[in-house]
Amino acid sequence: MQNVLSILFCLSLFYLAVTSRVKAYVSVLRFQGIILTVLLVFPFLNHFSIYAFILPATLFVVKVILIPRYINKILLDLDIKRMIEPSIQPFTFQLLVIFSMIIIFVTSNILSKSTRIETIPFASGFSAIVVGIFVIIFRKKLIIHVAGFLVLENGIFLFGTAVASELPMMIEIGTLLDVFVVVFLMGIAMNKISSTLSGFDVTALGRLKD
Amino acid sequence: MFELCVLILIPLLSAGVCYYLKNIRLQYSISLFVSAVHLLLSLMIFIGWYKTDLPFFFSTDALSKLFLLVLSNIYFWVVLVSFSYLKRPVTQNSEEGKRFYFLLLNFYLFANTAAILSNHFGMYWVAAEGTTLSVAPLIYYYRNEEALEAMWKYLFLVSIGIALAFIGILFLTLSAKGTPLEGQQLFFSEFVKNARTLNPVWLKASFIFIFVGLSTKIGIAPMHSADVDATSNSPSPIAALMSGSLRITALLGVLRIFQIVQPTAIYEFAKTILIIGGLLSLLFAFVFMFKVNNYKRMLAYSSIEHLGIITLGIGIGGLAFVGAMYHIIYNSLNKVVLFFSAGNIHRRYKTREVDGVRSALNILPWSGWLLLISFLSISAIPPFGIFFSELMIFEGMLFSDQPWILAVTMFLLLFIFINMGKTLFKMLYRKDENENIVVEKESFEIIHFAAIILLILLIAIAVVSPNILHENIVNISKDFGIKL
Repeated sequence: MQNVLSILFCLSLFYLAVTSRVKAYVSVLRFQGIILTVLLVFPFLNHFSIYAFILPATLFVVKVILIPRYINKILLDLDIKRMIEPSIQPFTFQLLVIFSMIIIFVTSNILSKSTRIETIPFASGFSAIVVGIFVIIFRKKLIIHVAGFLVLENGIFLFGTAVASELPMMIEIGTLLDVFVVVFLMGIAMNKISSTLSGFDVTALGRLKD
Repeated sequence: MFELCVLILIPLLSAGVCYYLKNIRLQYSISLFVSAVHLLLSLMIFIGWYKTDLPFFFSTDALSKLFLLVLSNIYFWVVLVSFSYLKRPVTQNSEEGKRFYFLLLNFYLFANTAAILSNHFGMYWVAAEGTTLSVAPLIYYYRNEEALEAMWKYLFLVSIGIALAFIGILFLTLSAKGTPLEGQQLFFSEFVKNARTLNPVWLKASFIFIFVGLSTKIGIAPMHSADVDATSNSPSPIAALMSGSLRITALLGVLRIFQIVQPTAIYEFAKTILIIGGLLSLLFAFVFMFKVNNYKRMLAYSSIEHLGIITLGIGIGGLAFVGAMYHIIYNSLNKVVLFFSAGNIHRRYKTREVDGVRSALNILPWSGWLLLISFLSISAIPPFGIFFSELMIFEGMLFSDQPWILAVTMFLLLFIFINMGKTLFKMLYRKDENENIVVEKESFEIIHFAAIILLILLIAIAVVSPNILHENIVNISKDFGIKL
């Protein structure tokens, strides 16, 4: 089950590579949030307890409801155009994503021989981290940078489940809240950037340099 | 439990209270009281008059006691001068920045203390990210375009850096597979005890990710750009807070993983990485100092330089490590004085451009002299502390197996000193031939008082060399397996 969900997660990354609509990024974030929630709920289905559902519930609220809604609100408030404005050719970007994922999957397979890791979730998580960084590097719009950052965070979360690191629930919730506040502050900053610097992309940010 | 309340919960409570209080003076009084109590308890813990017994994910050791005292001290002086700073006239937009100033400062103290006292990698991560979240809005205090850009870059790049550090923490979990630590909580102390059993490949990856990720926050080149922008565009007390305490909190994370790495086979690799990071930071500062336009940016690069020296000292080990620990203390104190003085100059001349500042020694005698003295201090002129700590680091380099690093460091530092001096002397003395500069009388403010006390501290700690401090640093060195 974990593998199936991880592959779905990977497919969402491919979709990110081919789409050029801003709204699609928000949908992908929501979809990834649902996958991560199911991944967390799944192990507890056999021995149900309310306590075990606190973390998945928080994850669902933060990643599926609050953050996508907040990003949609920013899109609406700032009247951001529908297209993502890439800084490289879409085809080059797709090739880059595919090649990186192949390398990550092959490397993970090799690594899994020496260390006990769940290869597919491990590689999917790491792919999301890399794709998130690519999105930040090769897209101009600031809102897409935020989406890239969130894809990276989702990747880390999946990666965490793959290496079976068990952080205490309080800390897991702390990390989720941190991410939410980061996005919240970025939203406020973007509002200000659009009004004072009159721009939604990185070219508006060029005042500070040595 | 008492210390947990005073050090962590009261600052959080105080942040909450500041949210509801409209009166800035009242917010200031509460924050100052909290910072004084925090400083007092940190000092008592450091001296050993108060034995700690922290619950949950917190604990104290020699390293955290030292860092806690540094944080507490810097924070106290920053809060002390903050009210006089907020009273200064600013643009209409900046008025709203005042409302959340003390709230965010208190939250910063809460998050930073939690990061320093944490004994758990997860807790450290959450708290370190908390410090970024509290500082980012403070960078935007002036509400101008540059501050906005600096805040965005800092928030974004540091958040990504911290995310990379989290991957490092997950790798650390992987390195524990098949050891007694598998499935256990990520406590630093447990990892240090069982370090030899960890898988070296994953441990190496973990070190790289944690070091690179936290470098964005420490300001180690080449990940330093957001840090420089943030420090140079934030108000002076916040710049002082960032240079004096926030950077070393991030350094603590690197030190924790370095401590784990120490008894393993990848120790030499980790040392090399630290040395490369340190030298690169010095190199970037060296290049920048040839073309300084903005004096606050120059001070931000000075921070990069000194964090670079500290990282080098840690990487070299031995006596240089001890010197680096002393350097952490002295650099923090010194940076606060530098930024306070630069802030006064900024207020008078209303520019951060070096060309816009002339004859500062005549027009602002107090701030001008303080800037000059603090520059001499940061350039390691005796009897200021930095002289002694740098001497120790250099001695460590000389007797290490890589003495060539000393030659490179000295070369870079010499030019940094010359170029920084040239810029500062321009600001302090320059006037046109026929220009008639009237010597003005600058009123003595609390910010000058704080700067003088900190300069005295810089000399006193170095000259008196308190036994308790020496013992603490020796204990830290022992924890890191350094034989002196």
